[in-house]
Amino acid sequence: MGNNDFRQTRKTILVRVLLLPFIIILIVFGILVYNFATYSSKQVRSELERVAMDHRTLILQFLAEKVADLTFISSSYSIDELKSTTSLTEIFRRLQSVSVAFFDLGVFDEKGNHLAYAGPYDLAGRNYAQTEWFKAVQEKGLYISDVFLGYRNIPHFVVAVSRNQGDHSWYLRATIDTFAFNDLVENIRIGSTGEAYLVNRKGILQSRRRSGGRLMEPDPDFDTYQIEKEKINSFTTGNYFDRQYLYAAGELRSTGWIMVVRQAANDAYAPLRFSVMVSIIIIIGGVIVVIIMGYIQATRMVNSLNFADMEKQQMKTQLVIAGKLAEVGEMSTGLAHEINNPLQVMKSEITMIKDIIPDIEKIVRAHDPDPENLRLLTDSVEQIGIQIDRCGNITQGLLKFARKTDSSRQPIEMQEFIPEVVRMVEQRAYLENIRIIQELDPDIPPLMTDSNQLQQVFLNLLNNAIHALKGRMPAEIRIQCSKKGDDLIIKVMDNGCGISPEDMEKIYLPFFTTKPVGQGTGLGLSTVYGIVNGLGGEITVESEINNGTMFLIRLPLVTQDRTTEEGGKI
Amino acid sequence: MADPRLLIVDDEERFLTTTKALLQKRGIVTFTSTNGTKAMEILERESIDVVILDVKMPGLDGVEVLRVIKKRHPLVEVIMLTGHASAESAVGGLNLGAFDYLMKPCDIQTLIDKINGAYAKKETALENLRKTKIDKIISHPLEVFDKDRSDNP
Repeated sequence: MGNNDFRQTRKTILVRVLLLPFIIILIVFGILVYNFATYSSKQVRSELERVAMDHRTLILQFLAEKVADLTFISSSYSIDELKSTTSLTEIFRRLQSVSVAFFDLGVFDEKGNHLAYAGPYDLAGRNYAQTEWFKAVQEKGLYISDVFLGYRNIPHFVVAVSRNQGDHSWYLRATIDTFAFNDLVENIRIGSTGEAYLVNRKGILQSRRRSGGRLMEPDPDFDTYQIEKEKINSFTTGNYFDRQYLYAAGELRSTGWIMVVRQAANDAYAPLRFSVMVSIIIIIGGVIVVIIMGYIQATRMVNSLNFADMEKQQMKTQLVIAGKLAEVGEMSTGLAHEINNPLQVMKSEITMIKDIIPDIEKIVRAHDPDPENLRLLTDSVEQIGIQIDRCGNITQGLLKFARKTDSSRQPIEMQEFIPEVVRMVEQRAYLENIRIIQELDPDIPPLMTDSNQLQQVFLNLLNNAIHALKGRMPAEIRIQCSKKGDDLIIKVMDNGCGISPEDMEKIYLPFFTTKPVGQGTGLGLSTVYGIVNGLGGEITVESEINNGTMFLIRLPLVTQDRTTEEGGKI
Repeated sequence: MADPRLLIVDDEERFLTTTKALLQKRGIVTFTSTNGTKAMEILERESIDVVILDVKMPGLDGVEVLRVIKKRHPLVEVIMLTGHASAESAVGGLNLGAFDYLMKPCDIQTLIDKINGAYAKKETALENLRKTKIDKIISHPLEVFDKDRSDNP
């Protein structure tokens, strides 16, 4: 499995197993938070609207009360009764005892002449015909003014009512103390920035604004108000991201004033913002934790999958190799048989020729004292004999690989045996500057095995190691021998040139060699394989190009002699 | 010690003729047979000391032949000759009482050495047998007449 596949699998696990459900939960959570936020902001608005509504009602009631007081007086008394300052003062005193908001009281005739006055100032006798309030009350019968300074130079507003008596009309006017009135509006507090105030139609403040704005000053935010008749409207100013204020505003019908309740958006939405913020932090935190955990888990999972895959692959390769070797072994024995029989015949024939040659020599010499041809013939015959032996050696090697040779077992002490074998190659290793290190466990029990065969195993492995270390510095062969369970573990390691992956499958095949032509028969490792298998053990190899090779041989300490078992059946 | 009398059993005829010629020349009286059945006939007919037996033959297998030989002629020594995979059978043959086995191709001198070894063993066994017989005769002289027939094949 390549690195890419590894990433792919990890990604798949992350997406399918962890992220997908998580995204669904995220969507659900997101919808909940969104709905909660919408609902909460609606709540905030309606709360503000409710406050505005309540206060509007309160102010309207206050004004209606004042109007009712005046109407009551105007309809209870005639103009003649009220013309006298004493009786007016008496009535005013009674009025004040009911409501301290009344500041003064005045009576006017049709022409705007101030007939009588009760209050702290002396205003009687003046003419008001040209004043705005007088014109308005003449026209409508009832008038509530905006706040103004008037002659007295203090902010106040007036309430005036008209009375028709026969052909004449007269007018009753009261001044309302704005300070007392202001308290009604100003005392509203919502959160830390919430406030309420009144403006008239032209945007002049009719009550103080806590966040700045004195009485009778124009309201700088006036153009943002959205007013509809009767209704309380709520709205926000600023853009979507930078909201400044949340407003609730509505008209006071009887005066044309506007009741404004407003709160800084930051303040109004603070709890909502806080809870949404917490939610988002939790979501983000959750995402991070899930991704990290998922990543770790997926990596772990993929790692173990990878490992299992690798093991499987290795096992498969081993099986393939074993199968291939078994086949080759079968073939090798057949081949060895077919060749050995004719070799035997040839050998007999060669012996026969050699027997005959002296006889022939006598005859030839009788004619030719120095028979050149005869010498050549003898030479040829000799050569044929050598070549037959060579063939014989090859077939012997093949038979060893196919492990059809005899083994005679006796107990062998590895602590003595291995150094002995090493001594055989020591001289060669020394010449190549190779160090041979032996690491033998002192408590290895004697191994029941065929010492000749085991010696061949070691010699072949050491030969290969020496070959692999040719020209390398530092060159080192390490032989380890230890006991593990019921098995003896022998490791032969070198830091040589290693075996290429392509060659890995072929190394045990007879006649496979990487040595130059003529230097190796290609039977070394196949012999080793055959012997180890014949002894009931197994051999595995690990190798890395340019890093070295390790052969691991596992031999059973408790002997199961295959050869004799099988032999016994015959 | 007289020269051994030998029987070679092998399905390779050319091998038989050449080897026979070589061995005869070296003073070993040699009989040959290409199969087990014929070999048994020769064993019945001739006095044979050592048999060289190819393990793998068509018809009666070498190991089978060995079994019969050991049963009928326990004193005859057998050398197994194997050219191939059947070394295991050869080893099995050792367990069945074969003197030794040889791997093909083997040169004539090795063969002769083995033959001599086998012959020597047979002679020793025969000698021992004679000695015990003589001992018996000395201790129980009358029994000779009862058992003489069974000892002589």
